[in-house]
Amino acid sequence: MTTTKTIVREHEADLVVQQAQIVADGVVSLTLADPTGQALPPWTPGAHVDLILDDGLTRQYSLCSSPGQPGSWRVGVLRTPDSRGGSERVHTALPTGATVRVRGPRNHFPLISSPKYLFIAGGIGITPMLPMIAEAEASGAEWSLLYGGRERASMAFLDELEQYGHKVTINPQNEMGQLDLASVLGAPRPDTLVYCCGPEGLLGAVEGFCQDWPPGALHLERFSAKPKDEAEDANSSFELVLERSGLTLQVPPDRTVLDVIRGAGVSVLASCMEGVCGTCETEVIDGEVDHRDSVLNDEEKASNEFMMVCVSRCKSPCLTLDI
Amino acid sequence: MTRTHPHNSWYALATSEEVGREPLGRRALERGVVLFRTAGGTAVALEDRDAHRPYPLSLGWLDGDTIVSGYSGFTYDAAGQCVSVPTQNEVPVGARVRAFPVHDDGVFVWAWLGDPALAALRPPVALPWLKDPAWVTIGDTWETAADLSLLHENFADITHVAVVDPFIAPPVLRSSPPPLEVEVTETTVTFSRSYEKAPISAWQAELAGLDPDAVHVQRERGAFVSPGLWIDSWDVEVEGGGVPRVMTFRFSHAVTPIAAGRTRHAWRVSRNFSLGEQASKGLQPIFTDYYRRVQSILETMQRVIDIDGPRREVNVSADAAALQVRKIIRNMVADETGSSIRRPGRAPAGRG
Repeated sequence: MTTTKTIVREHEADLVVQQAQIVADGVVSLTLADPTGQALPPWTPGAHVDLILDDGLTRQYSLCSSPGQPGSWRVGVLRTPDSRGGSERVHTALPTGATVRVRGPRNHFPLISSPKYLFIAGGIGITPMLPMIAEAEASGAEWSLLYGGRERASMAFLDELEQYGHKVTINPQNEMGQLDLASVLGAPRPDTLVYCCGPEGLLGAVEGFCQDWPPGALHLERFSAKPKDEAEDANSSFELVLERSGLTLQVPPDRTVLDVIRGAGVSVLASCMEGVCGTCETEVIDGEVDHRDSVLNDEEKASNEFMMVCVSRCKSPCLTLDI
Repeated sequence: MTRTHPHNSWYALATSEEVGREPLGRRALERGVVLFRTAGGTAVALEDRDAHRPYPLSLGWLDGDTIVSGYSGFTYDAAGQCVSVPTQNEVPVGARVRAFPVHDDGVFVWAWLGDPALAALRPPVALPWLKDPAWVTIGDTWETAADLSLLHENFADITHVAVVDPFIAPPVLRSSPPPLEVEVTETTVTFSRSYEKAPISAWQAELAGLDPDAVHVQRERGAFVSPGLWIDSWDVEVEGGGVPRVMTFRFSHAVTPIAAGRTRHAWRVSRNFSLGEQASKGLQPIFTDYYRRVQSILETMQRVIDIDGPRREVNVSADAAALQVRKIIRNMVADETGSSIRRPGRAPAGRG
């Protein structure tokens, strides 16, 4: 008997930069389109794409245009001194007319239907919020946005937010100080979903305030892995069963589950390799998962039904996956 | 009851031809919808229930651009607003029926029955080959007593065709299939396969006037475009002769959940070769027979689920596209219904 070889991959395309425009201090907005004018794949608010830069350097950016306009996508990119220079490369190497490889979209920050929303954005974290608030506004939901930044000049897309009037609070730190999270998050509201995107300090603070909120109320988007609270337990080795593939493998302490799956020649989706993007989400059939990702919420982790195989491991001696 | 199909999607409610100057009642997404055209030709979709008494507006009649209830005489405009009642001069304040966003592409009348605000943010997909004179299309529409997801999972894996209907199946499906490539985005799944040169079905060779023993490169491509639409293509490369270089069958499936366990299935088979009417007459029974077999099998599966409940299924690698489709549908339903767990468990879609 022969087996069907199956390759599962995400959509990838070379897109052309229709417009590269500086929209705030250190923030460039790129409008991306298919060079032949074809419609791009559909998406929903909260979705992001990978920009694949030279040397395979991959960076993730939220789509901040409208899903109603399939002719182009827009991303906003803050120039940051990150270690490998991804955003620097976007700023310098992708002028109007340039071509860039784009993978996705995917969405692990979906806008869940709710009568009320509280959106909190820090700095460039405003990008996924733009299509979200447009959708919340269109649906007639009650919403407000708290948008913090260093100073007005560094805060992108202020002009696009003007139309929403008092629903938007612009909070430049040099004028108004830190975001007043206590006043908006101090009292849990059972009918409100909280969406937050921004630097780790803001995310951590919002997580702290939301501890008494109903489970599932808080939705966060991280672009880098969550900092670890304590030194992680030493990795153990365990048996890995790939049920659909009919394979039994060993995961040694120094290799990831993903690595072992791929080593066996089995195709799985993966992208960020640090438990952030959610691409490698895999169904768990059996085994006690040691979740180490920043994608699943606590309830989802507790359900033990899904795991991110790029970082998460197994506490029990055997892990069985639906692959 | 947990719902298993997304509401925020364009779904075909009727063909464009069916919608005219007589009210047409249809059920979709657990509700009644009445369709008609204004005098100017614009298609309208309203809730099919008089605001006054539980009587379908589709049993009434049109008066200009308004529709009149056949029981109360309440009259509604194309926006669903009640504009007159027979028994008093004042129109009751707030009397209206829901009007749904409509997209009439000249082939199907699609309606958006979910959150109306999102319709403009989710553009419908065009199916130009259904109108293009370079293509000829056959097809039919019926109801299948099975969940929407069972239909999609059937479309997502055509390797079963060789088992279900050996006559219609291209011979390559009976051999070990080449690698399956599955491409996913947030809301779509596409799969493709390229086959080594092999003969095509005897009936297709006859139809195209080709030597039945000749071998051709063949390609299949399937796409889950949205919960309401699946598109497939089967390409056969032909060298020389007077026929186009690539003969394509394109399969369009507009699927509309009526309720849990009931789905309207409009299937269309288009081709860009052998465009004559005689060929269509020959093809219609071949494809009708195949899709009737599929209907019967899916209805049987639904009965098994209804009687014995969903069960963990054994999947094989050829199911990769179907599993991605299942994940997208599950996430869409979770987001729409406000579920905080977007990954609500692994039980396959049931009628629970």
